[in-house]
Parts: sequence; C-alpha cells; structure tokens
Amino acid sequence: MSHRPSHQDVLVATIGRPHGVRGLVRLHPATEHPETLEELGPLHDETGTVWQICWKAPGIAAVLGQDGQPLPDRTAAEKLVNRKLYVPREALPEVEEDEFYHIDLIGMEAVLASGETVGRVVSVHDYGAGTSLELEAGQLIPFTLACVPDVDMKAKRLVVVPPEAVEVEGDLAGEVEVRS
Amino acid sequence: MARSVWKGPFVDGYLFGKAEKARASGRNEVIKIWSRRSTILPQFVGLTFGVYNGQKFLPVQVTEHMVGHKFGEFSPTRTYTGHGSDKKSKRG
Repeated sequence: MSHRPSHQDVLVATIGRPHGVRGLVRLHPATEHPETLEELGPLHDETGTVWQICWKAPGIAAVLGQDGQPLPDRTAAEKLVNRKLYVPREALPEVEEDEFYHIDLIGMEAVLASGETVGRVVSVHDYGAGTSLELEAGQLIPFTLACVPDVDMKAKRLVVVPPEAVEVEGDLAGEVEVRS
Repeated sequence: MARSVWKGPFVDGYLFGKAEKARASGRNEVIKIWSRRSTILPQFVGLTFGVYNGQKFLPVQVTEHMVGHKFGEFSPTRTYTGHGSDKKSKRG
C-alpha cells in the first residue's frame, strides 16, 4: 500500500535520532496524546512508504516497516531521521457534537451573516480561556455560539458575528481592595 | 512571596466600571484591556476580555475556574504552537 501525503493528511509524528543499536528511534509526536499514535493505524511518510509505530518507552519507539518487521539496526534507523509521519484525516477519531478539530477549522472561509466574505481562518488559539479564530486580516473571533453561530463543514464555511471591541482606559493607580 | 491577604486581590480600578457596563448592556462585545496584572474577580465571570499580549488582543472568556488568576496568564506573549495536530475544541 502506498499513500503519498495530501493536504487532507495530518502530521502526527516526526522520527528523531536513533536510540541504541537495535533500530529503535526517538519519536516526536505531534498529537496531544502520544499513546494514541499506535491506535491510528498505518502511518505514511512523504514518499508514500507505510510505517507502524510501537512504543517501547516514553519517547522511544520501534518503527515497523510494511512487512511488519522492525528496523534491524541503528544504520537503518539513521536513514529515517527527520522523516515525517502522516495519517489520513479520516483516521482521526470522531468528534462529539459541536466539537471541531482545529485542522478542520483552519482554511475555512469566514462570512458575515449578510454573506460578505471576511477572510479565511489562518489559525486557532486556545490558551485555556476559550478558543478563538484568527482570520487573515488579523481579526480575532471568539469561538462561541454568539460569534460563530454557524459552521458548515461540507462547504468549509463559517458565519461570524464579529464582537464589538470596547477599549478600557484609565489611570493605572486604580487599586481596589476586595475583602472577604 | 505571596501577597498579603489583608490587602485583597489587586485589580486596576477602571476595569470594574467597564465590566459592569458591559454586563448591563448584554451586547456581544470584547473589552480590550492592557492590564495583564489585574486579578480576575467573580464579577468578571461570563464576560469576554481582549487581553493585550504585546501584539494583539487575545479573547479571554472568563469562567469561574479562572477567578483568582491574572488576566495575563491567559494571553501568552510567546508563540508556542504545541502538539496540536489532533487538537479539538468545543464551541463555547
């Protein structure tokens, strides 16, 4: 089986330097939960070669070739350094209702309720205080029902209602004491 | 060293008025602030602040779990893309 990466594929790991002399490698996962790499099924690289991963220790993995055999020695592992491993987008687990993969949101076309195009989503930010979408023009839209009422996955389009920006000014000496 | 309890949490005072106005208006708005040092108080829960990180105002949707933290904690100043190829989010 050969599968060259397309724009639909998702980068899940990068092979790092060899570990030991028995063909093991350091693996740099690009997924939130590295332990799920084994469950994603066959991975493929830029050349279309299919690989499988078997974790041996934290960060250390055996790379199995198409025939299911691990790399024989360190020399074989050295040849795979910096090799990027992908899975097809369909291989990722299903999401819950009203939940979206960031990779699906990136590239979507943002339109206003009137139908006017605002731009494409270039990145998705999530720093623990809610998700926000960054549009081409640099505009940041909170990913909430009020600001993004409609997401059409098939048409790769989302409707945005940009929130009104209100600036707060004041002197910086406004310390307030709040005692319980 | 931790801040003395008798002082209470630090908040830049002008945030209070704005937060109250925003809550009263009930509109869909982001309150742009530069005050990363202010503590998040229970009065701010449910509001969305745009906290400046030196480049842009990152939207911070305040929830009750964030009370007691500072606004700056949720608006990082350095870029870190992280391990995010299978990252997913729910609409808030």
